[in-house]
Amino acid sequence: MTKLRPTEEVADLARRGLAACRVPQLIVDEQWTVVLVSEGACRLFGRSREQMEGTALESLVSSLDVFAGCGHRTCPPEGCFRQLDLKLRNATTAVELHCERFRDAAGHPFLNLVLYDAGELATRDAMRTARISKLGLLNQVSEALYGAQLSLPQVLESVLIAMTAGQGLRFNRAFLLLVDERTRTLRGEIAIGPSSREEADRIWRDLADQPTDLYEMMTSYDLSLKETDVAVNNIVRNLKVDLAEDDHVLIQAMHSRRVLHVSEKDSGPGLDAVRHWLGVGRFAVAPLATRRGSIGVLIADNAISGLEITELDLEFLQLFANQSANAIESSRLTEELARKVLDLRKAQQKQKEDQQTLLRMERLSVMGETSAIVAHELRNPLVAIGGFARTLLRNLTEDDPNRQFAQIITEEVGRLERIIHDLLDFIRPQKMMRRNLPPDQIVQEIARKMHLTLEHASVALDLDLKAGDVEVNCHPGEIQQVLQNLTLNAIQAQPDGGRIRISSRVLEGGVLIQVADRGPGLAKDVAEKMFSPFFTTKTAGSGLGLTICVQIIRAHGGVLRGENLPEGGACFSFILPRPKPEGENGE
Amino acid sequence: MAKILIVDDEPHLRLLYETELRRAGYETMTASNAEQGLEYVETMHPDLVILDIRMAGMDGIEALQRILDMDNTLPVILNTAYSSYRENYLTWSADAYITKSSDTTELLVKVKELLDAKMVES
Repeated sequence: MTKLRPTEEVADLARRGLAACRVPQLIVDEQWTVVLVSEGACRLFGRSREQMEGTALESLVSSLDVFAGCGHRTCPPEGCFRQLDLKLRNATTAVELHCERFRDAAGHPFLNLVLYDAGELATRDAMRTARISKLGLLNQVSEALYGAQLSLPQVLESVLIAMTAGQGLRFNRAFLLLVDERTRTLRGEIAIGPSSREEADRIWRDLADQPTDLYEMMTSYDLSLKETDVAVNNIVRNLKVDLAEDDHVLIQAMHSRRVLHVSEKDSGPGLDAVRHWLGVGRFAVAPLATRRGSIGVLIADNAISGLEITELDLEFLQLFANQSANAIESSRLTEELARKVLDLRKAQQKQKEDQQTLLRMERLSVMGETSAIVAHELRNPLVAIGGFARTLLRNLTEDDPNRQFAQIITEEVGRLERIIHDLLDFIRPQKMMRRNLPPDQIVQEIARKMHLTLEHASVALDLDLKAGDVEVNCHPGEIQQVLQNLTLNAIQAQPDGGRIRISSRVLEGGVLIQVADRGPGLAKDVAEKMFSPFFTTKTAGSGLGLTICVQIIRAHGGVLRGENLPEGGACFSFILPRPKPEGENGE
Repeated sequence: MAKILIVDDEPHLRLLYETELRRAGYETMTASNAEQGLEYVETMHPDLVILDIRMAGMDGIEALQRILDMDNTLPVILNTAYSSYRENYLTWSADAYITKSSDTTELLVKVKELLDAKMVES
């Protein structure tokens, strides 16, 4: 045992320190005479310092037996600890005794007896148990919030469930407000809690059947399915504070990073408004603070039970709010990340498609150049072959057996020339020489040009032109070609004759032109493929017709659509743009 | 009878056009390249020229400018396998632009039109 050799001053200081100590403490010498007592001991024994110091311990307690085993020789060097009932005056007090041996500078043995009030200790234990239980709860909350992969709304719900559940923080009502960056406000998001005593009783009865484990409750309890919480959610939706209102109680609470306990006595900017919203005078506001800043506040009250919000409640509300803030932030970031990943995937997909389109276009372009050379080279010999076949045909008499052969050569060369014509048109770079003119004029021109062809095919042409003098900005030759190709297609869709209707109608941005037939309509696989080069269902023609049309309309900033009409037949439509205002009309 | 000069480096086509034009009642002469064509314009005074564009040596576009330098009242029809030359402004001074076809109707119609117009002018 260490021998104490304090200076007089230190010894005096220690004496005074002990004397002032609130914990009951007595120092006794070898003869069990009280040498020194603490303030707490005076209180416990109900005597003054003068009454106690210098007297035998035996005179203070009914019997020294209670100290049995704490003797100067029996007490272990590390001290001993025991519970005993101390009979003081007329009452018995349960105490916990801590006994320790020591010697003074001269080597005299002393005992230091510390007596803890067991009742006081029990309260402290209860507090400790409550703390441990709440810490366990926080742990559960944390597991639920982070472990269960909840979506943001689920996290928000879970936070409120944990705040109000019996197994949780036990507040009557809880409100969650988040910062809305877009409107620069602190806005009510979601709330939970009954609107009246009756509703509260009903909910609490219902809850008896609910899962008792908070984790299970938070992850399985669906607030949206409950008809309760309507009133509180109406309240929360009206909660809205401008972030610029720096001195508003909620904004201050949000930035303070400390939980705020508001009682009826308090006053401050915005406080009355919040009291009015909530309908209570007392409530607690906890900031939702993350490392990146404040994201909102939690408001809790005991509006139904009227119970006081205790220090412990506030302490845990603070801890809980910190955890919730991080969970909300993490959920938000996860969602944002998921969104970004999706965007990235889409962008990648688009890039891939663009690349493929580019490759296809490049292939088409190379193919086009090659085709152009070949087509031109073929044209001259074809002109000679076909030309002479016609000469032959003319020179042969009607009954000459060779006449039929010359006829075939003429027709086949004609077919080849049409293919070459279509092909060269398709690959020729479109030079835009646009003009402003009424589209109805182009349609009428086509009707005039195709008059004989239509008559020959026994197809009637109906014109329903409503554009009148309204002008469009277009390349007339190209639009003529589109109309001609569409009309030819429509004729061929009706080999036994029929009707074609070309109509025009003024829309806001341009003029809608439609070419409709009464043929069998477009088959599904045809509808998908018909705009790709070289696709054809016709026995004559190269299949480039529609592709050229698509290209021309696209060059005019529009889209060529093909669809089947409900009354039967196919209908192709496109919109020609109105002229741009003066000065913008360029190539 | 109107005299028509055919300038084309394809012998079969020269023959085809000659045949068709003669049948239509015209007198024809042919040149297998632009240089020879220019010489005939100068020496034989045709009433109309049918001029190919893509030829070995001098091309039809240059030949067209030279012909018009010599006589800008002489009708010239550009007759070519390439429809894209129509975009070239140097071809715009020709009286007609025809894409070659085994059906010579368009060519014959144009020849008649131009000669008729010339007759009215003179």
